[in-house]
Amino acid sequence: MASVVAAKPAAAPLSGDRARSRRIVDRIATASLWTAASAVVAMLIAFVIYVFVQGYSAISWHFLTGYPQSAVAGGGVGPEIFNSFYILLLTLCFTLPIAVLAGVFLQEYAGPGRFRDLVQFSAESLATVPSIVMGLFGLIVFVQLFHWHFTALGGALTLTLLNLPAMMRVTQESLAGVPNTYREASMALGATKWQSVLRAILPSAIGPLTTGVVLVSGRIFGETAALIFTAGSSVSFGASAYDFNPFHTAETLAVHLYSTQREALVPDATQIANGSALVLLVMVLLFNVVARIVGRQLTQRFTGKAS
Amino acid sequence: MVGVRANKAHRDERIALGFLVTSSAIFVIAIALILAFLAVNGTALFYQDHYSPIAFLFGSDWDGFGGKFGAAPFIVGSLVATGFAILVGGPLGVAIGLFFSELAPKRVAEAFKPAIEVLVGIPSIVYGWIGLTLLVPLIARVFHAEGDGLLAAGIVLSIMILPTVISLSEDALKVVPNALREGSAALGATRWETMSRVLVPAASSGLAVAIILGIARAIGETLAVQLVLGNAAVIPGSLLTPAAALTSEIVMDMGDAPEGSAFRHALFTMALLLLLIAMCLIVLIRLALRKRS
Repeated sequence: MASVVAAKPAAAPLSGDRARSRRIVDRIATASLWTAASAVVAMLIAFVIYVFVQGYSAISWHFLTGYPQSAVAGGGVGPEIFNSFYILLLTLCFTLPIAVLAGVFLQEYAGPGRFRDLVQFSAESLATVPSIVMGLFGLIVFVQLFHWHFTALGGALTLTLLNLPAMMRVTQESLAGVPNTYREASMALGATKWQSVLRAILPSAIGPLTTGVVLVSGRIFGETAALIFTAGSSVSFGASAYDFNPFHTAETLAVHLYSTQREALVPDATQIANGSALVLLVMVLLFNVVARIVGRQLTQRFTGKAS
Repeated sequence: MVGVRANKAHRDERIALGFLVTSSAIFVIAIALILAFLAVNGTALFYQDHYSPIAFLFGSDWDGFGGKFGAAPFIVGSLVATGFAILVGGPLGVAIGLFFSELAPKRVAEAFKPAIEVLVGIPSIVYGWIGLTLLVPLIARVFHAEGDGLLAAGIVLSIMILPTVISLSEDALKVVPNALREGSAALGATRWETMSRVLVPAASSGLAVAIILGIARAIGETLAVQLVLGNAAVIPGSLLTPAAALTSEIVMDMGDAPEGSAFRHALFTMALLLLLIAMCLIVLIRLALRKRS
């Protein structure tokens, strides 16, 4: 935004040695900033290529759908992928209603005051709790206190606590983008506040809201530290390893990558880890792309304008 | 008829408000419960197992089953790795924030921004895996060392805090009023002089928040660090020898420490320490922001 204003440093009446050296410093600084930003982007691209090159030979239909092995080569990650999605779904079921309602409250209802400050401060504090600490809280409550042992539900509730602040922030930011005229028009038509929220404000914020929710979902999908001691690092071996029972242990793909390098006895542990890393990375990229596309589509449908 | 509908609308309004307030209260209850449970379980080592807090904080002997819980090696490991990350990732992140806010043409920003968002989304375990299979062998070759240690952890953390620092410092710089840029240019300052002497000082409290949140991210990071640290419970003699951090040691030992044992209590104490550090950082952020307003 400022580049328009300050774009021509040389235009100022600079002359002499001092001016030349100032100009050179300016050039060097500009070049360094460009280099730094480009280097980070190049590094990301290098990471993606590296993970693809390492992992692609491990990927097969059998790997993506098969059961993990504990002692012989050739194990798959089917149940782990399933568990990752299952725990994500459970987490969203808890997180979304609470975070969206709280976001609506803070953005649309609460005037400045002690309660709003308290909620805001709690959300900020919650957001800085390290995920391993949240994992131990989940362990204390769901495993030790409730005696659930390692469960998908315990993992999902722990992830809920971990991601509530991010989801609420996403809600607040998308609501802040809705022009005030929407609120005024809706109220002028006689709608109550809640009716305005439900029929005018939320629908017009649905695009950015969805983008944010999908991006946070990507983070939930890859979360590891909070799940190791709440959802466990083994898959359920009941009737099927694709297990919908929320009270069964449920190792996710990210946790599997961890436990494979930590304690695996299988001879192809490196292969499995490489393949798991690739699947995780592809999922993160997919979440990013889907977030953008769906967000844009919804914005267009609900507000008629391209975002 | 109209009256009935209006009544219903008013009832809905009240019910909705109830849900809204309840949902908001959940945040308050959640953080209160987390603090309470960790305070109780994190101090059990002292009041139940009668282990001295001094010996915990400053002792360097760690033997979970032998009853020795000197956590100094992990505290040092966490602080050094985080310090390294901030020294490298902090200035780099602010510089890239400056790039996005002041230099990047719109099209370049549109191309680079999604990359930064992907960087946020990459799971920490994947960072750790890249670090373990790519960075650790590289360090081993360059420095003729084992490869894992605080240098590897510091580098991985520097990269991981970048997106946080970049986006927050960009936000902080963008809200600096344009009049300052114009005034500085009118006085004959070059673009770099405007950035370094006008914009950075003007945005200092926002930049401080960016750095503090980077610290929070780095000190709580677990798996990326655990994979590249080498996990040796000693105070490291150099950046190139295996070490451990608070977070990595919790993950390493939790599965082995029996419920109710002093061993497990010591790990809860380490988690409590991490939580207290995080809370201190939140207070610091509040102070930085208060200075601005």
